[in-house]
Amino acid sequence: MTGAEPTGFLYPFLDRAERDEAGLLAALAASGRAKAEASATITAEALAAAAPLLADAAATIAQRIRAGGRVLTIGNGGSATDAELAAASFARPPTGRSVPARALVDDPAVLTALANDIGVEAVFARQVAAAAHPSDVLVAFSTSGNSPNLLAAIAQAHRQGLYTLGMAGHDGGAMAQCAELDCCLVVRAQSVHRVQEAQDGLLDALRHAVQAALEDLAEEAAEPKGAP
Amino acid sequence: MPGTLEEASTEEPFEPLARAALTLARRVAAGGTLFSAAPAWPWHAQHVAVEFVHPVVVGARAVDAVAVPAEDPVGWLRPLARRGDVVVLVADGADRTARRLAARAALWGVTSIWLAVGEPPPVGAAHHVVHLYPDPAASFSGRAVLGYHLLWELSQLCFEHPGLLAPGPSTDTAETACVGDHCVTCSDEGRLGEVLAVAGTTARCATERGEEPVDTGLLGPLAPGDLVLIHAGVALQVLPEEALLREESVLAGELPR
Repeated sequence: MTGAEPTGFLYPFLDRAERDEAGLLAALAASGRAKAEASATITAEALAAAAPLLADAAATIAQRIRAGGRVLTIGNGGSATDAELAAASFARPPTGRSVPARALVDDPAVLTALANDIGVEAVFARQVAAAAHPSDVLVAFSTSGNSPNLLAAIAQAHRQGLYTLGMAGHDGGAMAQCAELDCCLVVRAQSVHRVQEAQDGLLDALRHAVQAALEDLAEEAAEPKGAP
Repeated sequence: MPGTLEEASTEEPFEPLARAALTLARRVAAGGTLFSAAPAWPWHAQHVAVEFVHPVVVGARAVDAVAVPAEDPVGWLRPLARRGDVVVLVADGADRTARRLAARAALWGVTSIWLAVGEPPPVGAAHHVVHLYPDPAASFSGRAVLGYHLLWELSQLCFEHPGLLAPGPSTDTAETACVGDHCVTCSDEGRLGEVLAVAGTTARCATERGEEPVDTGLLGPLAPGDLVLIHAGVALQVLPEEALLREESVLAGELPR
């Protein structure tokens, strides 16, 4: 495994490990517990660091939703499934109002047509060009922050007037330096797995904040105006 | 705000997770395919598959892993699955489709690992049950992402111990058919079978023991997919699909009479 994830405790019994099933199971359980604890710590730190940015982003997203916008989500690999999860969490939340959202990752005909005819760097940017309205919001999921097709889509969305939000890991990569990205939430961890788990927590926080901001906007609109 | 696994569950999931990871590694090492299914949350099934097919850690073993479509996973998996394969389910314990899939998979010789979010499934609903998080409303993913990441990471650790990848005691009998007062595979009670093909009054049936010919002369016409109660090579009764959803699961050794 990677050097960042210590597994040295497995080695003292390596000589006899090949018969020590109970020892392996105990080491696996301990490793799982340690990783879950690391995940919780990294998630809590990412939420704390992102809190001010999240509040501003949620207010902006809510205004755009109120104006008829939608949340469009993108990502590659496991982050593509996180983009699907994000769209579902907005559109079909377990509680609270639903937010119009769709993932641009789940149609193999569209993805393979664009990848084959133009190139993989175009698979999201071309969909944004075709589908996005100026009031929409683009949410990009990455762990490296360096995926060219995400950066291309962010640039395209910015040109069309969308609000752009990115989630990245490590040091944020190119997304952290991207002028076209309105909000970049960085999970400062090295493990791709721990980054995605923290992004899962950030997504929950973002969705709840957008739902709350939409409730506030609805209440403001319902209040009588101009009363003496 | 998401909690840790420890806060989330009164019973720690890490020991069941460790046994599940070792079983998964053993099935894969023996040539089995890993299937993933999440009937209500297809993105989780896809994430599990890509995790194993294209590992993020350079040099990690690439595993034959396939996400089963959320629409009719039983129908998709039946012709694909082979004995010795393994299916990872990501589902609420109350998910009837997941319950049916785990029960059918046992008849096909496919080991089931249920990463349960929300309600825990009934005892014996799958060979391995890892209960991750009791409150799906608190986190949209139910922390399932953490659960299958850990399953991948722990199974990778198992691959570093090839001597332990042969079948062993803790992952091949625990939580399977021989729990409960009267184990169907050890007594003279009936066993569950799924009809694979019919020829006259004989049907080839899939059971947990393997495929076997069964005399169906006592019953009316049968069709592939039918569930039957088998005793001494004879099909005694056609069982409804709901038999797979009883609280006393077929995997716990209890069968309807």
